[in-house]
Amino acid sequence: MTYFLQLVVSGVVVGSIYALSALGFVLIYKSSRVLNIAHGQIIAAGAFITYALTVFLGIPIFISFLCSMVITFFLAMSVERVFLRRLIGEPIISVIMVTIGLMSILDGLIYLSPFGSNNYSFPAFLPETPLNFAGVSISWTQLVGVLITAVLISAFSWFFNRSTVGISMRAVSDDQFASMSIGISVPRVFGLAWAMAGLSAAAAGGIIGNITGLNFETLHAYGIIVFPVVILGGLDSVGGAVVAGIIMGLIQQFAAGYLDGNWGLSGTANVLPYIILLIILLFKPHGLFGTHEIERV
Amino acid sequence: MSANRWLATGNFFATYKEEQRIFLTHLDRAVFVLFIAVLFTWPIFFELSNKYMLVINNILIAMVAIIGLNLVTGFAGLISIGHAAFVGVGAYTLASICQVIGYDHVAVTHAWPAMILLCGIVGAAFGAFAGLPALRLKHLYLAIATLSFQMIFEWVIHHTSFFNQGQTIFVGRVYWFTGQVGRSEHYFFWYYVCLVTLVLLGLSVRNLLRSRYGRCLVAVRDNDRAADAMGMSPGFTKVYAFGLAGFLAGIAGGLHAYMYRGVGIESFTLHQSIQYLAMAIVGGLGTLNGSFWGPAAIKLLDLQVENLAELAGKVLTSHLSLATALRPLTFGLVIVLFLMFEPRGIANWWRIVKSYFKLWPFRY
Repeated sequence: MTYFLQLVVSGVVVGSIYALSALGFVLIYKSSRVLNIAHGQIIAAGAFITYALTVFLGIPIFISFLCSMVITFFLAMSVERVFLRRLIGEPIISVIMVTIGLMSILDGLIYLSPFGSNNYSFPAFLPETPLNFAGVSISWTQLVGVLITAVLISAFSWFFNRSTVGISMRAVSDDQFASMSIGISVPRVFGLAWAMAGLSAAAAGGIIGNITGLNFETLHAYGIIVFPVVILGGLDSVGGAVVAGIIMGLIQQFAAGYLDGNWGLSGTANVLPYIILLIILLFKPHGLFGTHEIERV
Repeated sequence: MSANRWLATGNFFATYKEEQRIFLTHLDRAVFVLFIAVLFTWPIFFELSNKYMLVINNILIAMVAIIGLNLVTGFAGLISIGHAAFVGVGAYTLASICQVIGYDHVAVTHAWPAMILLCGIVGAAFGAFAGLPALRLKHLYLAIATLSFQMIFEWVIHHTSFFNQGQTIFVGRVYWFTGQVGRSEHYFFWYYVCLVTLVLLGLSVRNLLRSRYGRCLVAVRDNDRAADAMGMSPGFTKVYAFGLAGFLAGIAGGLHAYMYRGVGIESFTLHQSIQYLAMAIVGGLGTLNGSFWGPAAIKLLDLQVENLAELAGKVLTSHLSLATALRPLTFGLVIVLFLMFEPRGIANWWRIVKSYFKLWPFRY
């Protein structure tokens, strides 16, 4: 039972990070219908910027965490400005392929930096001894990570439901022509969606970096695991991304805890999400909370 | 039909059949035959070092794979982010045969054409299976389905001892009528095998594209509702496109395995899939001759990047390997710049050059 609860706790920790990563992805898809395949690289960039600010410049970690969110906000906005703005109106296939190219470019840039090949870990700033609740332990970094994620996700949902900018973003995702006719600048909303995605990606990167250490391959993998999460939750549902992220985290932890080592299996946590993804695509392609607007072929 | 069968400045088609011809004038046909003849004879007169022969063979194999990717992404309009996995399925078909019956069994070394064909058929089966979501879904979701096929493929290879955990599985040297193909003529021999395969497949795909099924692919890409209304089945057309792409990829995988005399996972990763996409985009999506331009351009670029990285490594003496950084950077830039400034790819430049010569001395 303790083992089960331990898996639940670590599943929720991993899942909340997935939720935060998926959030940015869903934002971009929701507003501009673009699959951002380069999301993992933006997460990695956010994590590395946080690390560089903390260690190389000696800024306190919470401030550098916020700074990297701001930097990535503008970074993602300029990515949209330079690469995607001129492709508005082109077939969606070429826009998606531009993000594939973008993924490659960011890969190359990160490999050029010292972070591409080496492993780093953040200096410890929280108590080292994990918290214990009746045999179930959770480290302080994980706890703080989950709390920050929860705060950010509720801030995002407030932003979308209440603020004028958020409402205009929802309007654009609903109907571009109608929102243009009432005076919303659609290109600005696209830029803003990318910027918000960059912001949440940087937050996710910073939290992942603190929990698991900085390794480009690991951070990069978060950008791909986002796909099963968003498909499960529904591509255009922010709430779905959160729920699906936590479900996916739990599934991975249970797979690692109960399947690995039995029946000659190993590393099932890395493949199960994709198998689930294929099954969902075959039977319930709009996911748990997505809009049922998918055209059947 | 113009009076001069060798030169035609305008279009004089009177029937659809005339428009469907592969070679419009005798000159086109003569140039093509001459070009193929040059391709077949040059290695006899020029000795190239093994390094460059390997690059050329790589280009030919990539061309076979890219014809497949172009069918699915260019002609049928479905993004495939898992093409390297399909090539890998072909290569690992051969590898698993080698694991079961031994790498120098007669079946592997003597019946290698049948083996390559088998690789293609297994590739087609996997391609059609991975394309099954196409029965219900549209392109966006299909891209994700192919991506997950790529991830599952990599996981399976990494986690099964049968596939040697992704480490190299050896494939034996093949026999030709003159005996075993030795070390010195290995790349020379496979140059001809790849070339013959490429010419055969290229011509048959050209023919397929002007048949009913080829037009079906384009119709479904351009408007699947209209295609549906005209009595085509968009879902099955897409599955069929994936099957064809898988077949070509499988053949490329079989050739790859024989030419490297081994199969390892590092040639079939997600990075490789993206490189394939780059080739297809640079060449020109939705054109058959783009499938030849793209691999040649990207592989030669790759060679130059490697040289540059080597040169820079000597000057800078930095600890990080520049090649791993420069390679994705250049591919990404090439993809993005081509999509932004020349979305029709090198095939479009070829078209411009051709029409210039066709119309010369007039401007249009």
